[in-house]
Amino acid sequence: MTPESTRHLSEEALDDVLIGLGSPESHSHLEVCAECRAQVKMFLGDVALFNAASMEWSRNRLPQAGASQPRRVRMHAAFAGWAITAAAVLVLALGVLHQRPETAPTQANTVQPQPVNSEAQIAQDNQLLQAVNAAIGQDEASPIEEYKISESPHPYPKAHSKKRMK
Amino acid sequence: MATAILSTPRIAPVRRPQLESALAERAGVISELDDIDELVRLHRARIRRFVTCSTGDPDLAETITQDTLLRAYKGRAGFLGDCSLSTWLTGIAINITRDHLRSGRYKFWKQLKATAADVHEMASFLPSEAVSPERRMLAKERIRELYAVLEGLSYNQRTIFLMKFSEEMSVDEISEILGMAVNTVRTHLHRALKAVRSKLGAKI
Repeated sequence: MTPESTRHLSEEALDDVLIGLGSPESHSHLEVCAECRAQVKMFLGDVALFNAASMEWSRNRLPQAGASQPRRVRMHAAFAGWAITAAAVLVLALGVLHQRPETAPTQANTVQPQPVNSEAQIAQDNQLLQAVNAAIGQDEASPIEEYKISESPHPYPKAHSKKRMK
Repeated sequence: MATAILSTPRIAPVRRPQLESALAERAGVISELDDIDELVRLHRARIRRFVTCSTGDPDLAETITQDTLLRAYKGRAGFLGDCSLSTWLTGIAINITRDHLRSGRYKFWKQLKATAADVHEMASFLPSEAVSPERRMLAKERIRELYAVLEGLSYNQRTIFLMKFSEEMSVDEISEILGMAVNTVRTHLHRALKAVRSKLGAKI
């Protein structure tokens, strides 16, 4: 018969200890079993290292420019983005109108259309895509606006709200 | 008049130290909530860390952190002190994160900004006092491995793991905040720990 002290904790029992739900028997075992105790210590040590590093990372992380700016500044940036997009679309539209022949299309120019993948067309497409990309990047609406957060009566965690209802 | 006062039975004031202590503590927390700058100073990094590790997206975490602090400040009058302020704030952050996950915005943002790379650099921020120079490289490697394991967990498993081992909440608190049965929380934690054990092998 194996003595109680040398029979190591099962994985489940060890996990219960780690999550704070260990049985009295498990704690008694840990007092006499260096191997199981070392496993607990090793895990908690790794978690402590992770917590220290991640907290330091978070403290040193500078807020993103767009996220930390006042809302008015962000609104201006968003407006500028859309203005650039609108300007790009206008330039493209004018370009198309300028290239359109004033006379009715002849058989020749309907038979030989301008290649879709011409360098000029690709450059125009890229310009438009960059303008749209810039506009999207600057116009990420804050969820604060989308949630319409105000002095609402339910700003608390849902689970807690339930508890207060009791 | 004097006689009337003298004849009034003197009742010793009932002292309830626990209640007084709780009220004083709550008053302190409420005054902390009243100062938005103090609230941000004390809790911003912790909430940002939690949401970043939970979602893997530092930019989303920044937005959610700001939303959390703003909501807490606006709803400060409703804080009853039935849990710690940290727990209350974490609960708000979790609810906001859930809203993001339910909507399509989260995936959209993830596609727009692939900024998870600098999350992997967390290990390099390990404070010098946390470990000796000889063990520093090994410690960094362990942090990276643990983060990699967390990334592989489901959202619930990862969040509950962080609530337990980073936010140091009890299983009961986690259960209450998430509206989840204690046994369900326990099951998630067991699965998360099993994953950690299987990935890190004999190291744990």
